Amino acid sequence: MPDSSRVARPGGDRFEIAVDGQPAAAYDGDTLAAAMVAAGITRFHSGVDDSPRMVLCNMGTCFECTVTVDEVPLQRACLIAARPGMVVTTESAR
Amino acid sequence: MSARYDVAVVGGGLLGAALARELASDGVDVLLLERDQINQHASGRNAGSLHFQLEYRMIERGLDAARRAAEAIPLHLESARLWQELGAEIGPALGVAQRGGLMLATDAEGARRLEAKAELERSWGLEVSVLDRTETHRLAPYLADTVLAASYCPDEGKANARTAAPALCRAAVGLGADVLTRVGVTGLEREGSRWKIRAEQNSVPMTFEADIVILAAGVWCDELAAMMGSAVPVEPVALTMSVTARTAPFTPYLIQHAGARLSLKQTAEGNVLIGGGWPARLASHADGTVDLRGRGEIVSTSLAGNAAAAIAAVPSVTSLPVLRTWVGTTTLAPDQLPVVGPLPGAPGAFVATGGSVFTLGPAFAVLLSELVQGRTPRLDLRPYRVDRFDRDEAVRDAG
Amino acid sequence: MSTYDLGIVGAGPAGMTAALTALALGLSVVVVDEQQRPGGQIFRQPPASRSPIPKGVAGYPWGQSLVADAEASSGRDGIRWCLGATALGVLEDDAGLELIVRQAARTERVGVRRLLVATGAMDLPVAFPGWTLPGVVTAGGMQTMLKAQQVLMARNVVLTGGHPLLLLVAGLILDAGGDIAEIALPRSRASLRDLPRAVGALPGHLGVLANAAATAAKLARSRVPVRRGAIVTAARGDGRVEEVDVAALRADNTIDPEQAPRTVPADGVVLGYGFQPATDLARQAGCGLRWDSPAGGWVIAHDDDLRTTVPNIFVAGEPAGVAGADQARAEGRLAALMVAASVRGDDGVADNDVESARRDVRRARRFASVVQRLFEPPRETLTDLARGDTTVCRCEAVTRDDVEVAIEANPFLSSTNALKLECRTGMGPCQGRYCELTTAGLLARGRDMSMEQVGPLNAQFPIRPATVGEIGRMAEPE
Repeated sequence: MPDSSRVARPGGDRFEIAVDGQPAAAYDGDTLAAAMVAAGITRFHSGVDDSPRMVLCNMGTCFECTVTVDEVPLQRACLIAARPGMVVTTESAR
Repeated sequence: MSARYDVAVVGGGLLGAALARELASDGVDVLLLERDQINQHASGRNAGSLHFQLEYRMIERGLDAARRAAEAIPLHLESARLWQELGAEIGPALGVAQRGGLMLATDAEGARRLEAKAELERSWGLEVSVLDRTETHRLAPYLADTVLAASYCPDEGKANARTAAPALCRAAVGLGADVLTRVGVTGLEREGSRWKIRAEQNSVPMTFEADIVILAAGVWCDELAAMMGSAVPVEPVALTMSVTARTAPFTPYLIQHAGARLSLKQTAEGNVLIGGGWPARLASHADGTVDLRGRGEIVSTSLAGNAAAAIAAVPSVTSLPVLRTWVGTTTLAPDQLPVVGPLPGAPGAFVATGGSVFTLGPAFAVLLSELVQGRTPRLDLRPYRVDRFDRDEAVRDAG
Repeated sequence: MSTYDLGIVGAGPAGMTAALTALALGLSVVVVDEQQRPGGQIFRQPPASRSPIPKGVAGYPWGQSLVADAEASSGRDGIRWCLGATALGVLEDDAGLELIVRQAARTERVGVRRLLVATGAMDLPVAFPGWTLPGVVTAGGMQTMLKAQQVLMARNVVLTGGHPLLLLVAGLILDAGGDIAEIALPRSRASLRDLPRAVGALPGHLGVLANAAATAAKLARSRVPVRRGAIVTAARGDGRVEEVDVAALRADNTIDPEQAPRTVPADGVVLGYGFQPATDLARQAGCGLRWDSPAGGWVIAHDDDLRTTVPNIFVAGEPAGVAGADQARAEGRLAALMVAASVRGDDGVADNDVESARRDVRRARRFASVVQRLFEPPRETLTDLARGDTTVCRCEAVTRDDVEVAIEANPFLSSTNALKLECRTGMGPCQGRYCELTTAGLLARGRDMSMEQVGPLNAQFPIRPATVGEIGRMAEPE
């Protein structure tokens, strides 16, 4: 149920980002983490034990919302703004 | 009455742990004293390289210096063999993987230097071959295009600096050694034919007695030697290390550079360890003298230089996240050779230090164990004797 | 390399106040914060493009104008706001301190004559079975995602923890249309009736609890089960939280092993056990720490004038002891005055100002220390929530069993740092912030030592990961 987690209709412009090759909606003003949660994504990266991980702290300290953004690994989705055309890859266990 | 031992080893790094294990395995009643925790200083902070080729620091000063450094190759060969044995005996906690080492050259002068170096090393019995550009890139396609040649030594590799010393300590304890941490030695006095060791644990005084004392305390060897009226002419050197997040395995090799300070390798978990001897800042007292108990500090230009050297050799590391950097403080003697043997003027006291002690630790442990048990050491230790330079000369040269 | 009189890391109440105070005294100031706008976690702002600054946080009438003043100062001579920027650490060169700042993949060395650590606090992490599952979120995380992004991370949640912020978050979830399956509250020394008096001294948007009765009434109207003497002991689910175990606590806050936990269907768990000071920058800089459990655990040692043990480094706000926004603001002002005095000599600052700033800090501290004791987390019970196979180090997937095996197998090992090296706990990207207290607690117990004896983890540069490329470019001229 994409977008069902949005409490209010976002005021900003709608655009698309790509998450693992799939288009996802985001709005101006979204952090990447918010856009991904709203898109129904629950596995942001996989732990070294291959377990799914998702936003825990939303303030940049826990590194559980990390994704690869435009080929740079370990980016904290909670701190960066979603931008049109952003290419996001959820990170697999190493 | 204080506890009595045949041998007391002071310093719980890789060497101290290896010594305790070696001596205990011969049935020697051995005590290991560590002021902090096992493996907390140079041994746990170095790159864990098992490097047997002559290093950048040994060849940067020309062929004569390299020839002198090459005299230590028998130690390297013995260590290569011993690491392999220990790895088989102790298992994964030691993290021994001797899958070869590459020393890179990125210009014609460097390639020539590799040839001369390899010839010298082979003359001492170390297996080294120089690979041309094509062979090098076939072996390691992730190396930068600028790499023109590499010398390859199949014995080189790595051990796990994080876990090796504790693993050796566990083995020592299993063989009957006593290992005490948080015990700082405050005095070493000769009493008859024994050493009386004064120490403190959490400010509580303790004493021990031992027939033999071996100093394996890295940068602190000199101040301990001073307690015995002796001296170890080595100087502390603070070095920079970095480690990245895990990444998919891409290299089994220890990668070094003949013309730049660089060592790079991948751990069993996939982290990339980057070092190579970039200087860091030693802590200092208010009066400017070196504070060996203080924390060494990263220097931004060194850290950046080390990262740039890593990228220049292996461009794909550029996007890897660095998780930590740290400073390890090692010792170097003025002539860059190890310092191993009896402590002058202190009967029944021995020392081993002076650089590459991680790589050479197992050899030092065996040699010292033979020495203190009155056997003839399997290698000639004369080139490494403590009194080969007088103190003044040592200080001047190191400065 | 540009050099500033004062570098401030953290743009919350302490950092903003210090910046504006120092600017008014004529110092040159640089402020670094990872968020896009000043405010810190407590006054965290929605993105500028989305809405105007929201109404002030009740209980902190000064908050809104402080944020507005901070934003208005941007562009003035003498102050630089590095927002959306990460302080990777503080190093020293021959000229003095240098703050390493990364902003949009560009790494810069910024010279600072004095450094103020105003890095705030983070939610206290508590390891329990299933806490790595998606849907488990901290109270602060849930709250900021709702307030700054208007996104609800779970639809039907169980909230647990003894901190009053939890009730505020419960109210926000209901307002947002979410369901609350249950609120499980361990016993604290405070009752709900104490909350209104405590509000002003607590971190988080607790001003809202000035109207605690209304919050409680809202929870009652929504028929939210609020259970005192209860705690979440496990979360389970395939790929995300699907059900949650809630256990009863005895009067001493220990879990009653006789009583089986109840299982509650839920898709989220909100953890609100309180806060721990964010001390990593200070640790990396070599500042001494002090163990103070009511103040949040490891706090940065400091004197009455907020000097740390490292020359030229000061601290203000939660890293000096979690004590709430009023105290953070008071400390921010005092720290800026002390910095000005130390840069300029004592003549640069009026004695009256210093005296009044010291008085404000003392007053705030008296109130805060009472509150700290009321809501001190039951650390022993929390340590034991982790079972043998529970992940305690999330980054490296180190379990409690792994930690205890390392403790058992290495009888000579007795420091948290040595334990880290032995079993990799704390060696991942979060650098030990989320496992330190659990592993140190296990070690202290295993060795019958105090937390002071086993000690804190070291923090090393960079305190947030930076790529090899970013570090390689660090020394480039601007």
